[in-house]
Amino acid sequence: MASSNVSTVYISVIDDVISKVREDFITYGVGDAVLNELQALWEMKMLHCGAISGNIDRTKAAAASAGGTAGTTPPVHDLNVPYEATSEEYATPTADMLFPPTPLQTPIQTPLPGTDAGMYNIPTAPSDYAPSPISDVRNGITINGSDPKTGRPSPYMPPPSPWMNQRPLGVDVNVAYVESREDPERSVQPQQLTQDFLMMSSGKRKRDEYPGQLPSGSFVPQQDGSADKIVEFVVSKENEHQLRSFVINKQETSTKTVNPVIPQCDGIQDDYNDQFLFPGVPTEDYNTPGESAEYRAPTPAVGTPKPRNDAGDDDDEPPLNEDDDDDDELDDLEQGEDEPNTQHLVLAQFDKVTRTKNRWKCTLKDGIMHLNGRDVLFNKATGEFDF
Amino acid sequence: MATFELYRRSTIGMCLTETLDEMVSSGTLSPELAIQVLVQFDKSMTDALENQVKSKVNIKGHLHTYRFCDNVWTFILTDAQFKNDETTEQVGKVKIVACDSKLLSQ
Repeated sequence: MASSNVSTVYISVIDDVISKVREDFITYGVGDAVLNELQALWEMKMLHCGAISGNIDRTKAAAASAGGTAGTTPPVHDLNVPYEATSEEYATPTADMLFPPTPLQTPIQTPLPGTDAGMYNIPTAPSDYAPSPISDVRNGITINGSDPKTGRPSPYMPPPSPWMNQRPLGVDVNVAYVESREDPERSVQPQQLTQDFLMMSSGKRKRDEYPGQLPSGSFVPQQDGSADKIVEFVVSKENEHQLRSFVINKQETSTKTVNPVIPQCDGIQDDYNDQFLFPGVPTEDYNTPGESAEYRAPTPAVGTPKPRNDAGDDDDEPPLNEDDDDDDELDDLEQGEDEPNTQHLVLAQFDKVTRTKNRWKCTLKDGIMHLNGRDVLFNKATGEFDF
Repeated sequence: MATFELYRRSTIGMCLTETLDEMVSSGTLSPELAIQVLVQFDKSMTDALENQVKSKVNIKGHLHTYRFCDNVWTFILTDAQFKNDETTEQVGKVKIVACDSKLLSQ
């Protein structure tokens, strides 16, 4: 009932518009063919939207009026495009001036509270640890379950094997060192150059593990900024063991803050970690998955298995941040739903809007409603809202 | 006769806008003429709503956001219910944009 009624109204509007602009078209020297094309396109889009039903008397009328030129009318392209897109383009000149903020911004603004919260929470988290878990999670890249704990920046480019022995990423990092050298030399000796450098920095972080996981010559970027120790280094295969033992010694002497349990996932000396595991730490989670698995699916492991010394803060933080992310995503989703075709919209004129306390009443007229994918027209509407 | 460009955002208005846009960008139609068509649409749509539509609707819902700017009311309702003679539509979130009807009569 309603829809057919709407359809009828729409068709009459189309007819009305077409007939009344005909004069303009003539004065502009544009032929009827163009006008007919306009009508055909318009109706076609309406049909696509389901705003009008094809089998209405209107069809006959259209055929009658436009029938002669119908043949010349080029077949319309497929127009399933959501009309929002075009509206922007076209509305720019005119419509935008009338309702600039209302249409688009409203939906966007609503989510802001959520967004704010998200933004607010991020800083709240300890600068050291929060960032890395987040980034890890977002990137879907986690090298070690222990990463977040140590506040270590997420590793660069996880893919392990491909460039393992080939061009070391570290080259970039060590440009300063290598710079003076000529390319040939560099290609031959880059690893050694970087080694020295590595040895120096390697002491702090159990980075020794990385050599196994990361290709030699890879570097780990510093992401969170504060209090982080720089962990860029390059290790060549040959020196892996050397480095490792070196670091191990350091580890033994190092304080608890450092997390000795970094899973060895490269398949080489995987047992290696066992020596350093704290009792009660679920090491299997880290070690069992192969290299690739570590990289891809570790997200859960990151947050969960953390009952360690300094883990307290970390444990609290990563989950919090993850939740924030989730919230944001949810908000976005909600937003997203509103934007597309499913957006429910009422366009009308208001006669009166009143408010008593939190009770709003309004009377509207001449409205077009787009609800649940259907258009509904009304002559009058009364609204009662509580704020 | 004053008109609102409000209804250009409706389905029918969007379809027209889209059509005009295509025709203008293809060179079939001049932008000036396209504007003329839109203006005519504003009039025709307003007329049609005034004269051809008789139905009444009741709206209830939780007012999430309200705004009155440049004589345009904007309401965002959540859990809104739209009731007319025939059906009842329930939507989780709806935006109502309403221009001042008095502006038309001036």
